[in-house]
Amino acid sequence: MLIIENLTKIYDNGFKALDNISLEIPDGQFVSIIGLSGSGKSTLLRCINRLVEPTKGRIIWNGLDITAATDDELRQIRRRIGMIFQQFNLVKRSSVLTNVMAGRLGYINPIFSLFNYFPPGEKQRAMAALQRVGIPEKAMNRASALSGGQQQRVGIARTLMQDPEMLLADEPVASLDPATSHSVMKYLELLNSEDGLTVLCSLHFLSLARAYSDRVIALKDGKLEFDGLPKDIDNERFKMIYGEDAVEVEIH
Amino acid sequence: MNTSPPSRTLLWRLVLVVLAAAVLVIFSYGWTVTDIDLAVPQEAQRQENVGNALRELLSPNVFSQEYEVKTATTSFLINCPADFTAPAAAPATDQPYIVVEPGCGTANEPVTVSGFNFAANGLARVNWIALDGERRIRQVIGTGEDNFSINAEGSFSVQVEVPRIRGTTGETHTVEVQGRFPLGLPTLSATTGLVLEKMVETIFLALIATAVSILPSAILSFFAAQNLMRPVRTSLGGLLLTVALFPVGWWIGSTLLTQLGMLALNIGRGNFSGSAAATLFVFVGMVASTRKLGTGSTLETVSQPRALLNAVLIALGSVLVIGLVGGLGLLFGSLFSEGIPGYLSAFIGSLGGMVELVMPLIAGVIGAFTLSSIGTTLTRDAFKRLSATTSHLLGGVLGALAGAVVLGATSAVGMSAAWMGLLTPFVAGGLASVILPQLYQRFINPPQPGVMPNRPLLTLLNWIGTVIGFVATFLLLNVRQALVEGTLPDPAIGFAGMGIVLPVYVLQAMLIGAVIGAVAGALAGTRGNFPIGTVLYSTTRTVLNALRSIEPLIMGLVFVIWVGIGPFAGVLALTLHSIASLGKLYSEQIESIDTGPIEALQSTGANRLQTIMYAVVPQIIPPYIAFTMYRWDINVRMSTIIGFVGGGGIGFLLQQQINLLRYRDAGVAVLAIAIVVSILDYASAAIRERYT
Repeated sequence: MLIIENLTKIYDNGFKALDNISLEIPDGQFVSIIGLSGSGKSTLLRCINRLVEPTKGRIIWNGLDITAATDDELRQIRRRIGMIFQQFNLVKRSSVLTNVMAGRLGYINPIFSLFNYFPPGEKQRAMAALQRVGIPEKAMNRASALSGGQQQRVGIARTLMQDPEMLLADEPVASLDPATSHSVMKYLELLNSEDGLTVLCSLHFLSLARAYSDRVIALKDGKLEFDGLPKDIDNERFKMIYGEDAVEVEIH
Repeated sequence: MNTSPPSRTLLWRLVLVVLAAAVLVIFSYGWTVTDIDLAVPQEAQRQENVGNALRELLSPNVFSQEYEVKTATTSFLINCPADFTAPAAAPATDQPYIVVEPGCGTANEPVTVSGFNFAANGLARVNWIALDGERRIRQVIGTGEDNFSINAEGSFSVQVEVPRIRGTTGETHTVEVQGRFPLGLPTLSATTGLVLEKMVETIFLALIATAVSILPSAILSFFAAQNLMRPVRTSLGGLLLTVALFPVGWWIGSTLLTQLGMLALNIGRGNFSGSAAATLFVFVGMVASTRKLGTGSTLETVSQPRALLNAVLIALGSVLVIGLVGGLGLLFGSLFSEGIPGYLSAFIGSLGGMVELVMPLIAGVIGAFTLSSIGTTLTRDAFKRLSATTSHLLGGVLGALAGAVVLGATSAVGMSAAWMGLLTPFVAGGLASVILPQLYQRFINPPQPGVMPNRPLLTLLNWIGTVIGFVATFLLLNVRQALVEGTLPDPAIGFAGMGIVLPVYVLQAMLIGAVIGAVAGALAGTRGNFPIGTVLYSTTRTVLNALRSIEPLIMGLVFVIWVGIGPFAGVLALTLHSIASLGKLYSEQIESIDTGPIEALQSTGANRLQTIMYAVVPQIIPPYIAFTMYRWDINVRMSTIIGFVGGGGIGFLLQQQINLLRYRDAGVAVLAIAIVVSILDYASAAIRERYT
């Protein structure tokens, strides 16, 4: 269970990205977060694993107060929360395998990492993760040699190495074409249904949110605008979230 | 419609005119200051001098040729008698022979000397041998030199004057021609050999300086990279404790751990296989202890006592391993003395010697870091549980200790040179700068989340505090006298004991530091956050920039005094400059990496070291290789002139040749420099292109 209480984030330049957000997300839910650019979707996701330090409020996950965790505790928490990014955030020059194994670093003695040593068995684990996202044959390729959809699947494989209980996806398909978008979303859905991961996924397209999520959260100017089932977003709500002039586009 | 009002255009034009006038004045002043006088280069004498110098420089003495000198003679009668008949033509042989036309004559009369069967295109000279047997060189009419050229058929016909030699009328003189016949093919001259030898020295000088500077500058570059350092913050309590414990750890390390290290070194020096085994054993033990006691792959959290035990074991093990390896190096250094094993042996031996030399330093650093890390580990949680009052009290106590340590260290540096005394007031100002903003935020206007703090006011308060701290320390330590008179502080001893000697001056500085530190620490409390990253970043950048601004030639001057004339001084000067320069270049590469992977790895729970190893290092390796090549290229150029100040290499030779006015030899050195620099220029450009 992820409980967000009165979460507020004000950046150093005074910009209020999140304004008093409170949410409860039960384990195993697939939650889409929608809203315009700059509405606070990324900030919300990054506050959960404290890549962005919240200004006020608490985030409690499985009884642990993430906002109060020390650096060491935070690393313990982070390694159970996977995250994938719009720009994939792979090390382009490293091999796919190295990128995937890097997801395991939180479990490995930092001194070993200094010598680029992974305990035996981690390589098999990484190959299994690549197998799961369907690109085991790319293991030795440079990450930069892969297509966008393949790179995002490497990103998913990297989070699998963390043995996560929750997955934060920050606009995972915004840089991909519609067909690839669906294939990546299907992997997220698979992790949600097979492994029981809680998935928090920010999306641009409402149609994707409707197709994959159990619940939709809409943000507008840092405030919670809507929290409910995908089917409850009618045209009126849509205009409230995206503004009067918006027209819904669908991707299939 | 006219969009720009005419008055503004007029003003703009006026500004342009004034600017142009100002530029003209500045330029003319520069013209005068630099002594530009176009008449000087046109003076005939100077033109001749530069012509000669350039001619010799451009005729480098690269090759040399051995010659055999063959002579041909014929007789010549002074003052023709009436019945003079020319001697019969010489027989046709393959030996060189000459004919003089006419065969007799008076002084100052031109005669024609013809020669045959000489070396084609060779050189020859005419000698006049009088009765007394003395050779007088005759200059050929129409040449400026003693020698004249022989044509392609091996013959010549030149005119010389009959010399005026007293009392020889009616006597028969001998005309001799010495022709040079080349022996074998041209070979490289002795100068070329010397230049090649020095060029090898130059290239290796640059190579060693570059290679040695890679590791230090790579490490420094991480501290000089803003994007990595800015987010690094530490709890103030932990930092103060670290600083306060540092000298204690240093003392323990440099007195106790050194003994252990030296023991290990002597064991290592004694027996090859035994100490190799011991090294391996200790190293494996360290790894095993880390795996058992440290953060293993499955352990959730590490209990404190185990972490402490591990830290102590690692410290002891490191000192042992360093000592043993150093001893092994010394042992290996005494094994061989000739050939390639000899070089290796000398190199490894000198590394071992270095370990022996800096053992107290290594042990001190290890001791200091171990004790500091133990201290912070033990107190990390305790600091959090403190009440607000206790936190501020403890902050004051720790702040006093840390301030004393910091200012004690800077004042110890300040005792070395008069102007170094400025360091203490500067650091004191930095410490004092936090006091006023803290007071303001605590008592007048506490910061509230969501409300932008009054930045300009805080900055102003910051500066006021800095100035007060600086001026107070400046006056209290009497730095004015040091600045004006150049005198060092009074070295009177204030405290001595336990292997520590503290002058009164240092004690005074420590007292100032303790006061400022106590106030600042008490206000901030141990729970405060300290931007340690930003401080490290700006310190590293400042030091690198200062070092970079000193030319290697000037560093070379200092190192020549230290280690004497020779390539070693050059290596040291170039290394120091390369560290500063590469550190800056490397750090700019770190600042321009893609930060996405850093964020991604942070989100997996990797710690800072792991994030750097897996997200930063792979991205910076190609530019690092490129910049290292670039620096090697620069170092070769620099090392060609570092010899001018005694730093060894080809520059030393070049300077000698120029001072001796041997421009043809200097030309060889210049040619060699040009060739090597352009080859390296090309090679480094090619390699850089591949990696960027």
